[in-house]
Amino acid sequence: MRLLGFITVVLLGGLLFHLSLDFPDLGDASSPAATHVSPYYIEHTMEDTSVPNIVTAVLADYRGYDTLFETAVIFSAGLACFFLMRISERTAPKARFYRHLPTGLTLRIEKGGKIPEDTREFERIDSVWVPYDVIITMTCRLVVPFIQLFALYVIAHGHHSPGGGFQGGVIFGAAIILYAISNNLRRTLRRMSERMSALFGSVGVIIYGGTGMLCLLLGAGFLDYRGMASLLGVDPVSARSYSILIVETGVGLAVTAVMVWIYYNLSSAGKQDEGL
Amino acid sequence: MISFLAAVLIVLGLFFFAGGSVGILRFPDFYSRLHPAGKLDTMGLLLSLTGIALYVVQDLTLSAILTALKIMLIVVFVFITSPTATHAILDAGVRAGLSPWTAPGKRGRT
Repeated sequence: MRLLGFITVVLLGGLLFHLSLDFPDLGDASSPAATHVSPYYIEHTMEDTSVPNIVTAVLADYRGYDTLFETAVIFSAGLACFFLMRISERTAPKARFYRHLPTGLTLRIEKGGKIPEDTREFERIDSVWVPYDVIITMTCRLVVPFIQLFALYVIAHGHHSPGGGFQGGVIFGAAIILYAISNNLRRTLRRMSERMSALFGSVGVIIYGGTGMLCLLLGAGFLDYRGMASLLGVDPVSARSYSILIVETGVGLAVTAVMVWIYYNLSSAGKQDEGL
Repeated sequence: MISFLAAVLIVLGLFFFAGGSVGILRFPDFYSRLHPAGKLDTMGLLLSLTGIALYVVQDLTLSAILTALKIMLIVVFVFITSPTATHAILDAGVRAGLSPWTAPGKRGRT
């Protein structure tokens, strides 16, 4: 069985390499892409979609299918990480550590002992002791809101400058991961639970696919944003521009949530119990 | 005149960057290498980005001033985060139990 798999991989890989020789050369001016497709985008993007940034228009409008399935791929990466790593059964650890916040005492509670509620008085801490570092925590608290604001700017400004849903989503996810690194995993899970991140990831993909389906229902083709004109109350050209923003928001949501979700699973080896 | 000042600032910044690189290569151990890596890079970035902001702001239009402001914002954030990053790396070294380098023959209390 393993030999069969190996032979399949070698054959398909060889076929891929062989066929890639038939591609036109890089930067070949007489290739079909350079003679028909690119000039059309360069000449007509502004009058078709009123988006100054051609890359965004191609990514979210002309080649909307590609980006829809890219978003789906990112979501399934998060799902795969979840299915591979998440340990669902709760085997109680040998000992748990709690900090009594008013006095600063650390309690070690053996297996079977009475575990205090995680409240204002008691906070659970990692068994590998991580000292409370004021400098790092405060700096990250100062910086995180600015990173999140910048991420929203990158998502919303994709029409005019480099940026868009993927980049903005990654920056937003990095801000949350920075919070998790500077504090700890449990505190971050209290702000954004695993259920929230899974939900946001799927909602992002649904926003994208739902926009496409809405176009279909309103009488245009799938992901043909001209159909959204009657719903948004604008002319078809602006409708394409606005729909790109809606779609990019969905992409940003999905990328943010999946990044954070993968980090949760990787940093705690699937237990989501202890970790940075 | 302003462009000359900007050039001087950028060259000074590059000098600090070069000093930082030499320091990282020549200092003996982890802790002392963090010293040039943290300090001289921050200083070099401050000087060279201030020079670039001055160069941009030569013609006093609104967009030029906004660009210069954005560049200075980069300086502010690097000033906050770069020393913190150095502190975090150093803290990790201490927690991993790496003992600092001492001159051979001149062993202090260990």
